[in-house]
Amino acid sequence: MTEYTPAVYGTGLKATIQRVGGHLAAMIMPNIGAFIAWGLITALFIPVGWLPNEDFAKLVDPIIKVLLPVLIGYTGGRMVHGQRGAVVGAVATMGVVVGADIPMFLGAMIIGPLAAFVIKLVDGVVQQRTRAGFEMLVDNFTAGIAGAGMALLGMWGIGPIVQVVTEAAGDAVEWLVNANLLPLASILIEPAKVLFLNNAINHGVLGPLGVAEAVRDGKSILFMLESNPGPGLGLLLAYLFFGPRSLRPSTPAAMIIQFFGGIHEIYFPYVLMKPRLILAVIAGGAAGVFTFIVTGAGLVATPSPGSIFAYLAVTPKGGWFGVLAGIVVAAGISFAVAAALLGFGRKTGEETPAPTSEPETTPAPQEA
Amino acid sequence: MADIQSTDIRKIVVACDAGMGSSVMLASQLRKQLKGLGIEVEHTPVNSIPADADVVVCHSGLADRARKTAPGTVLVPITIFIGDPAVTTLVTAIKNGGTVHG
Repeated sequence: MTEYTPAVYGTGLKATIQRVGGHLAAMIMPNIGAFIAWGLITALFIPVGWLPNEDFAKLVDPIIKVLLPVLIGYTGGRMVHGQRGAVVGAVATMGVVVGADIPMFLGAMIIGPLAAFVIKLVDGVVQQRTRAGFEMLVDNFTAGIAGAGMALLGMWGIGPIVQVVTEAAGDAVEWLVNANLLPLASILIEPAKVLFLNNAINHGVLGPLGVAEAVRDGKSILFMLESNPGPGLGLLLAYLFFGPRSLRPSTPAAMIIQFFGGIHEIYFPYVLMKPRLILAVIAGGAAGVFTFIVTGAGLVATPSPGSIFAYLAVTPKGGWFGVLAGIVVAAGISFAVAAALLGFGRKTGEETPAPTSEPETTPAPQEA
Repeated sequence: MADIQSTDIRKIVVACDAGMGSSVMLASQLRKQLKGLGIEVEHTPVNSIPADADVVVCHSGLADRARKTAPGTVLVPITIFIGDPAVTTLVTAIKNGGTVHG
């Protein structure tokens, strides 16, 4: 719009990181339903679950080690080369899945799109040279041969490398937890989050590592680093009480959408408007992580979206105290710091931004 | 930078990172506001904005990517998700006629 054109902030680099991260998240997010199905089955039927059941618990291992990676590889393949890419990507993913004793999410995110890219190249060369009437025969066999070849490559080449990398990353995280350094992760996570890297971080990086840990230990703290709804809630509460008056009416709806609906994007603009408030969500996030560590909290699967309801659904039996405590502490600290940074409302007069040319009721974020 | 007459708008695409969260919310708000005007409102990931979109609405933090996926399409960047002035202007322009700049 001419009268109201927010500057398109963000350099090419940021857009590139967002795009790469977006691709990673885009392989996971359409499959979240399957993750939740696995999380529910796990929370209910494993020996320490709510309703231990030996037969139903047999579902746990094949779903996490085979079904979910194959779905990821399938989705990754589809992104690159449609249905044919999806099929070849799924077959190739079996190569990294079989024989690995960890869930091969990272492997699937590599080999699925890679295999689809191979069949895309093959199609580019072969399809225009195919004689009329032989298309189906050729298409089926090129896909079959490419899929089989990539599965072998995955098993011998990519699988072992990814396994080493995943285990090393897992060890690094464990070291951070043991050294009580994990709260420092919030210094990176929270700013990246409000720059719309939230899905990339949570689903592209932390989720796959968290699943590996959850399979081993029954729960993981990594699912909660980015998705904790507490810091955003505290920030919005501070806006409700101490923010610019013109913004206060919109915050209750934002809080409901953020905390119960789990759409964290809703609070990013409130940080971007007054960038120093990033300190509030960093402090809140770090305090939350610290509380999670102290109480030994963890979740069995990714809470997605990051809603309080999703959190409660994937909390292991007996783990509610730590999880809720971490959320409450995060919200409290974030609220306190944000309130202080907003001057407890005293400075609202001078800070209410005067719309420059647009006679709208909602103010333009002059400070951003 | 493209312009479009508001009477030519048939399809608005709301885009966000995953196409599953904030864009769905904003799209359903827009759909309500534009009810009965015969305008299709869709939500997609910002990496896969369909080619037949007349107007793209997305957060300004994702605008770089939206411009790459849908070059030449009118882009309305927003800063807040509830009651953004740019969205209000867009809706007003569609209802009362006028040109939408992007």
